[in-house]
Amino acid sequence: MAKAEAKGLSFYYGEYRALKDLNLVVHENRVTALIGPSGCGKSTFLRCFNRMHDLYPGNRYEGEIVLHPDNANLLAPTVDPIEVRMRLSMVFQKPNPFPKSIFENVAYGLRVRGERSRRALADKVEVALRGAALWDEVKDRLQELAFNLSGGQQQRLCIARALATDPELLLFDEPTSSLDPIATASIEELITELKQHVTILIVTHNMQQAARVSDYTAYMYLGELIEFGVTDELFIKPRNKQTEDYITGRFG
Amino acid sequence: MGTTEHISKQFEADLDTTRTRVLQMGGLVEAQILGAIDAFATGDATLADQVIENDARVNGYEVAIDGACNHIVVKRQPAASDLRLTMAIAKIVTDIERIGDEAKKVARMSKRLHEHGPQHAQRFPAIRHTAQIAVRMLRQALDAFARLDAVAAAGVLKDDSEIDHEFRAAVRQLVTYMMEDPRTISPALDIIWVAKAVERMGDHAKNIAEQVIYIVKGTDVRHTSFADIEREIGTD
Amino acid sequence: MAYVKDLSAIRALIASHKRWDLVFALCGFAALMVGVLTFVALFADMAIQGLPRLNWEFLTNFPSRRPAQAGILSAWVGSCLVMLVTAFFAVPLGVATGIYLEEYAPKNWVTDLIEINITNLAGVPSIVYGLLALGLFVYQFGLGQSILSAGLTLALLILPVVIVATRESIRAIPQGIREGAYALGGTQWQVCRDHIIPYSSAGILTGVIIGMARAIGETAPVITIGALTFIAFLPPAPMKTEAPFLSFDWVMSPFTVMPIQMFNWTSRPEAAFLQNAAAAGFILVLMTLAMNGLAIYLRYRIRKNIKW
Repeated sequence: MAKAEAKGLSFYYGEYRALKDLNLVVHENRVTALIGPSGCGKSTFLRCFNRMHDLYPGNRYEGEIVLHPDNANLLAPTVDPIEVRMRLSMVFQKPNPFPKSIFENVAYGLRVRGERSRRALADKVEVALRGAALWDEVKDRLQELAFNLSGGQQQRLCIARALATDPELLLFDEPTSSLDPIATASIEELITELKQHVTILIVTHNMQQAARVSDYTAYMYLGELIEFGVTDELFIKPRNKQTEDYITGRFG
Repeated sequence: MGTTEHISKQFEADLDTTRTRVLQMGGLVEAQILGAIDAFATGDATLADQVIENDARVNGYEVAIDGACNHIVVKRQPAASDLRLTMAIAKIVTDIERIGDEAKKVARMSKRLHEHGPQHAQRFPAIRHTAQIAVRMLRQALDAFARLDAVAAAGVLKDDSEIDHEFRAAVRQLVTYMMEDPRTISPALDIIWVAKAVERMGDHAKNIAEQVIYIVKGTDVRHTSFADIEREIGTD
Repeated sequence: MAYVKDLSAIRALIASHKRWDLVFALCGFAALMVGVLTFVALFADMAIQGLPRLNWEFLTNFPSRRPAQAGILSAWVGSCLVMLVTAFFAVPLGVATGIYLEEYAPKNWVTDLIEINITNLAGVPSIVYGLLALGLFVYQFGLGQSILSAGLTLALLILPVVIVATRESIRAIPQGIREGAYALGGTQWQVCRDHIIPYSSAGILTGVIIGMARAIGETAPVITIGALTFIAFLPPAPMKTEAPFLSFDWVMSPFTVMPIQMFNWTSRPEAAFLQNAAAAGFILVLMTLAMNGLAIYLRYRIRKNIKW
């Protein structure tokens, strides 16, 4: 079942057309990976979903990103980007915990949503930290600074922060690019667990990672969607020559 | 198999070397079949011994190529056509090695047969003909592999029914001999073993051809009807 | 096979390169010493000259015609009060401006123009501020030659410093932190209140204090607006015994400040007054150093929790 759908999506940085007429279905409770060489627009595409581009001047969207089941077009000018960000969550390339306590990091999204009750905050923070497989490691030091955690723990903290607000769609922007292999493996494991409850869209420059964690994969090149399909099929028998060249390392 | 080369020259070279070695191994096994059948027809014990001895070289190839495949998987994590090629080579090599084993079996049988008396084998030229079909199939399969030609590979599959037909005819004929003259039972059984070995060579050649289709088309055509396979190959 | 490099040649080369390390290290050290020794000499001279006058009475006496009884009570109290007014106006104005320019203002030519002008304002001679303040605060607004006028003038003087410091420390916050906060659904104000301001406060405080340390030594603008050179009374106390307990009468009071007191004493013919001036200078330098020390301490305290 489709959770979100890009329909004829184009994106402009000023005059430059960075995304060209993208059409893609994000299936519910599945992991969809976006792969492609640097500068292919995969991160740009991801950041359209939560209207991150609205933070900077001169950016323009064309087309739609429809979120199901209410068929809301996230890119409609009448839709406040803050409303969109209240529905979706994002995990960034570099772990970016706030220089606050572990607890406050996870609670921040809830505070932004006006949650005041200490009890409710504590409960939801615990649920989110458990969801991010971090609870056992940090339950005794919730008031410690988030910076004291290791890189992998920081990224899981950021995932907990994103989970705390119960997002309809979880966006990952190269979440393991600054982590070591062990931390990467734990994040990948977590993503596989999370998809039971959350729909995930992940950008990765690591093809093997896409092959490992995703159910569907989209290959992008020069702002275009070249091929989209079931991950196993795309990696064993891609339909498109360009996809084949990229995933077999013939690109260039 | 794309027109473009890998960015990594070493990867390109590794794949090339491995493919070449598969073809060399195939060539060696081809010679083994011919040698074994010659030994069977002529009773040349030296030739039979040579075939038996050479099987060690075939096994050596198998181990080396398997190792190369592991090396490629570990170092390159191949995807798409590279993945299919590597996986298929690992399986093709097993089939070629089995053909080698069958050749060795034929060579051994010939020696035993001629110890009983040379006349039996000579009375049975049909085996030689069947073996020639097997060699042709193997050659064609390896050729299809070398050129990554799915159509040629499909041709091999067609030949397999011919070899099966020859085998059944040989068995029927041998059964008649045995009924006519019970003294021929023992050599006739040996000849059936040889015929069976040759028939198995055809099966392995067919497996190789199926792997070639998998490499080229990405479709697993094992346990599929020939009509379906032809349809699959026609989808270009 | 492995070939052996000519190690002795490499060593000779390294040695000749390293000679320049030494040459520069010596030059740099000499340059450093010119500054440090000059300052130490001045400070020591002042300390030695002023030492006999440095005692409790010096701090608690009003100025007097007799050098031995003259003190700096009205001057340091004046300086402190003026600084209070300066901080009161410069900090909110400067911080708000800095945040607005960094986080809210659209990036267009008007903003660029304003930015350039703020940078230029930092380079305007302080006496110009004095003249401006004389016309505007003293006469136009009728604030008179008061602590308020002086505080406002100095606030104006350090405003560019505060704005620039605010903007610099906001810019030091990684974009990832900002995006992280926005991605959770924060509005601009929520992001500023919960993230931008707390994380940049160390830099802002440092900037404010450095600016104040500059302002406390300013003489020209304060003289221009008409600070008195001889004040033998204190401004009204800010606390009262009856309700509403707080009083702001002091802001309208005439005043003097440390540098003016020094200036006044140095222009007297008697050598004893020069001694007083040196002692006052010594205390002024101590005040400045103390403020800088505070800035370093605060920065260390706040930055301790922030690593990026």
